[in-house]
Amino acid sequence: MSALRELLGDLRGPLLAVGAAVLVGGAFVLATGHNPLLAYGAMLTGDLFATLSRAAPIVGMGVATAIAFRAGFFNLGGEGQLVLGGLAAATVALALPEGGLFTVVLSIGAAAVVGGLWAASAAFFEFRFRVPLLVSTLLLNYPARLLASYLVNHQLRDVDSGLPQTERIADGVQLARWGGSGRLHAGILLVLIVVLVVAFAIARTRAGYRLRMTGLNRRFAQAGGVDLRRLGTSVMFTSGAVAGLVGAVQVLGVHHRFIDNSLTQPLWAWTGLMVALLSGSRPLGVLLAGLFFAAVQTGGFAMERVTEVPRELSRVLQALIILFVAAKDRFRLALARTRRAD
Amino acid sequence: MELLGIFDATLTGSLLRFATPILLAALGGLICERAGVFNIGLEGLMLAGAFGAVVGSYFGGSALAGVAAAVLSGVALAALLALFAVRLRGNEIVVGIAINLLASGLTVYLLRSIFGVKGAFQDPALVGLSTLRLPGIDGLPLLGPLLSGHTSVVYVALLLTVGVQVLLFRHVIGLRLRGVGEHAEAAMTLGVDVGRLRTAAILVSGALCGLAGAQLSLGNVTLFVENMSAGRGWIAVVAVMFGRAHPLGVFAACLLFGLTESLGFRLQGLQLPSQLTESLPYVVTLASLFVFRSRTSRG
Amino acid sequence: MSQHPPTAAFELQGITKRFGEVVANDAVDLSVDAGEIHGLIGENGAGKTTLMGVLYGIHRPDAGEIRVAGRRRRFDSPLDAIHAGLGMVHQHFMLFDSLTVAENVVFGAEPERYGLVDRAVAAKRVAELAERYGLEVETGALVGGLPVGVQQRVEILKALYRQAAVLVLDEPTAVLTPGEQEGLFRVLRSLAAEGTAIVFISHKLPEVLTLCDRTTVLRQGRVTGTVVTAQSSAEELSRLMVGRTVSAPKIEPHEPGETVLKIESLVVSGRGPDPAVDRVDLAVKAREIVGIAGVAGNGQSELAAAIAGLERPRSGRIRLGSAELTSLSVRERRAAGLACVPEDRDGTGLATAASVAENALMGFEGRPELAPRGVLDSAAIDRRAGDLVDQLRIRTAGVRAAAADLSGGNRQKLVVGRELAHDARLLLVEQPTRGVDLAAIELIHRALLDYSSGGGAVLLISAELGELLTLADRILVMLGGRIVGELARESATEERLGLLMAGGG
Repeated sequence: MSALRELLGDLRGPLLAVGAAVLVGGAFVLATGHNPLLAYGAMLTGDLFATLSRAAPIVGMGVATAIAFRAGFFNLGGEGQLVLGGLAAATVALALPEGGLFTVVLSIGAAAVVGGLWAASAAFFEFRFRVPLLVSTLLLNYPARLLASYLVNHQLRDVDSGLPQTERIADGVQLARWGGSGRLHAGILLVLIVVLVVAFAIARTRAGYRLRMTGLNRRFAQAGGVDLRRLGTSVMFTSGAVAGLVGAVQVLGVHHRFIDNSLTQPLWAWTGLMVALLSGSRPLGVLLAGLFFAAVQTGGFAMERVTEVPRELSRVLQALIILFVAAKDRFRLALARTRRAD
Repeated sequence: MELLGIFDATLTGSLLRFATPILLAALGGLICERAGVFNIGLEGLMLAGAFGAVVGSYFGGSALAGVAAAVLSGVALAALLALFAVRLRGNEIVVGIAINLLASGLTVYLLRSIFGVKGAFQDPALVGLSTLRLPGIDGLPLLGPLLSGHTSVVYVALLLTVGVQVLLFRHVIGLRLRGVGEHAEAAMTLGVDVGRLRTAAILVSGALCGLAGAQLSLGNVTLFVENMSAGRGWIAVVAVMFGRAHPLGVFAACLLFGLTESLGFRLQGLQLPSQLTESLPYVVTLASLFVFRSRTSRG
Repeated sequence: MSQHPPTAAFELQGITKRFGEVVANDAVDLSVDAGEIHGLIGENGAGKTTLMGVLYGIHRPDAGEIRVAGRRRRFDSPLDAIHAGLGMVHQHFMLFDSLTVAENVVFGAEPERYGLVDRAVAAKRVAELAERYGLEVETGALVGGLPVGVQQRVEILKALYRQAAVLVLDEPTAVLTPGEQEGLFRVLRSLAAEGTAIVFISHKLPEVLTLCDRTTVLRQGRVTGTVVTAQSSAEELSRLMVGRTVSAPKIEPHEPGETVLKIESLVVSGRGPDPAVDRVDLAVKAREIVGIAGVAGNGQSELAAAIAGLERPRSGRIRLGSAELTSLSVRERRAAGLACVPEDRDGTGLATAASVAENALMGFEGRPELAPRGVLDSAAIDRRAGDLVDQLRIRTAGVRAAAADLSGGNRQKLVVGRELAHDARLLLVEQPTRGVDLAAIELIHRALLDYSSGGGAVLLISAELGELLTLADRILVMLGGRIVGELARESATEERLGLLMAGGG
């Protein structure tokens, strides 16, 4: 029990936040002229396979963000790292159409390196020029997105398709898929492995110890001999590398080509960030919270089919949950106080 | 010579137009910063304002109604920000991020439930802000397009810059605000209500960001597009850092960032790919941070 | 129903204040008359600051009542207390560095014209007030640039501007030079003569004996006595404060060994144009404890940071044995034989949210027996932390408990124990017993002496002169970033040190 708590953290806060968000969101649905009970009921009927395939990028981006958060660094640049990773994966896959495991590994590796370097550049700016990561990582999203967009509209464009996208990658470089009407693919497994490796590394390794201590108290770690610059750069690289890997997973496992906006439109990076916040950046918590947010989103699609309520309700709910999570301690305190006053 | 050729009326004319949304949001961020609140929700507040403006203009039938609704939307979302960041003492960065995501989700949701469209909303019933021609200046070369022919929000933003300067450094409230930001505990022991001042600062930033949003959706264009704030709130955050939370410094920073945006706009006219010209403001904003930080740091 | 004469400016009756399990104030009574200077003394952690927090509306008491000028009052915030005529000069000043003296004084009660601050009126009022009480200040100066003694005058002016009838000063002399201290005492006496009731909080007996009319002693949250100071003595007050006397550890005569630390013309930049550390030379030998004395803010912290590797010096050399430290990282310095007990225990010494075992591991995580092949061996880590807990008698629910759950003394023992365990050649210690209970002080002192006699070199930076006199073989005095004097153990006294610290001698 206590081991579980150590891995997942205290669940009361997140659960309370979810409950509060559902209430507020329900009131909001009511205010916009819909029936919240109907909407929520329809939300619960989401498709399991769709949820799993949706959960992979969300959990992946959640872990990417969580790595940085646990060390006390902000990475709001998941989106750019994800996009560049996806672009790199597609480029490598298109350049080596023979396929085979080696090409797949190379493609994913390139995605991780490119995503990692993009994030590490923000760390470089922070330590060299003291540009706050919070701002630099976020601003780096825009050039990354625009660069990818430029390339798929020009040099890398599949001229026959008429759409801003690359050519389709060869079958041999696509990730294996099984069942779930083709929605389950090896990338989901890959993300799961990444979660477990990261969970182990943070909790049980020397590097993870240094990372956690830096996150808890930067000065303490520094005085104890942790090289902040080195740790920060490698943490940001790893964070960005995981994001890049997620980009590769989506490109090689789902789209089979790089399509402009396909990685930014579903807000994987931002949902992942919310998942990291909800779970207190504990990797196994990220897994749970990621599955939950994926279910909320597929539920949103189901709800939109059945009711008139736009599926963007799930985005509203997610944001509300994070608001309540931010204030969870105070919020719980306030609840306790009202209860005592009764 | 050719390079200088781009500094024409198109460029100067769009400078203030592009600088204004960033300036208004940055003034809001500055007031919060001075009160000791790091407000990274500017982006979301601006987006809420842009949407509110369109709703107000469409249903109210006038640009003024649009501006009023924009300010109201900004303030309403800011109230939520203040509730969670100040009253419930949530982490201001987490709350700010949540507010940005909430604004983005809410506007898309409402865009669909109110107007029944996705992506963008444009309608002949939308009344944009009219532009004012300044007599005497209007006809001058360069200065004319630079200063004249803007929406009233642009001129209000310029006046507000001076207003914020006076408020902060001359007014009793400004003195207390700066005290609260510098040493909240000390201000508290002197009987100043820290929470109330901070809440007020956030609400004011909401109003300013609302105005900024109105300029975006009823001034620069007359339509609403999903996430049309497009990082301008974040550029405003940088402008506050760059201008050292000083109204005149922030004003200068916003002019610089507005210039890069209008430069990008101008270069697009020269058949450069839009993706590259659009990334100009972000790259320049980042670059300005390097230059600024490395110049002011000792090592 | 007061038993005291009606002249009492304020009374506290039966004040009890708990923080969780800890009883900070236990049925405390205190009565101070108008025109009286009343000493409030006690060891660190005796409950003085909490009691004044209750009086000033910062803490709500769990039991007891407050009377001001005979009327029962309830203070929900400092504002209520201010309105009732109380003023407080906090230990850590509550000043706005970027505002002027006048702005600081009138803050929250500004003279205004059309909503704008009327600076002329503010400056005039503050100047008048300053002149009336002999508090010399320049009303237009920015507070951040003023010397500490002047900042304290601004704090007193703030209280007087609000017409305080009761003025509480929390450890006001801790940051002052002896000269500034004399000035403060003159001001306080003149205020008392005008009828202000003054509470003077201190843990330094000589000050209390010279200044105060009556003195109340707190120990472990309880009042152990209220005496008329003139009829009391340092011995009596000391007994009331401590309950028992601290046994000074015996020091065996010993010969220092070879030089371990050698610092040559070290310069460290400060916040202003003047360097914080200015051409400092010093050496520490094996089996030697070298103390550094000085009024806070004279470069001691920066010196320590430069040795520890947290601050890059502008010039000069720091040699540890044969290694030149200045170009090394913190980790390399530690590998070269440096261990540090930092000044800021919770801010630098610990990650309070982490467990005792995790805190004890810092700096040792590279050892293969604790993390073979980079994977932590938690059994070995816990065992090692358990040994540390036993050795230093750290009271904790277990090595997996959060460091935040330990008392201040036990947290300090954890830091000291961890750093001692490095068996480093040089131990840099800053303020090792600040805010620590007596038993822990004795234990820490004993541990430092054992370390030194075992062959270690110790550089001890402390604000407690008594601690330096007890432990150090030699004491260097820092003033304005420079070493201005050195006294051997045999010739060092509090008086001589005080004189050097003030720039005399």
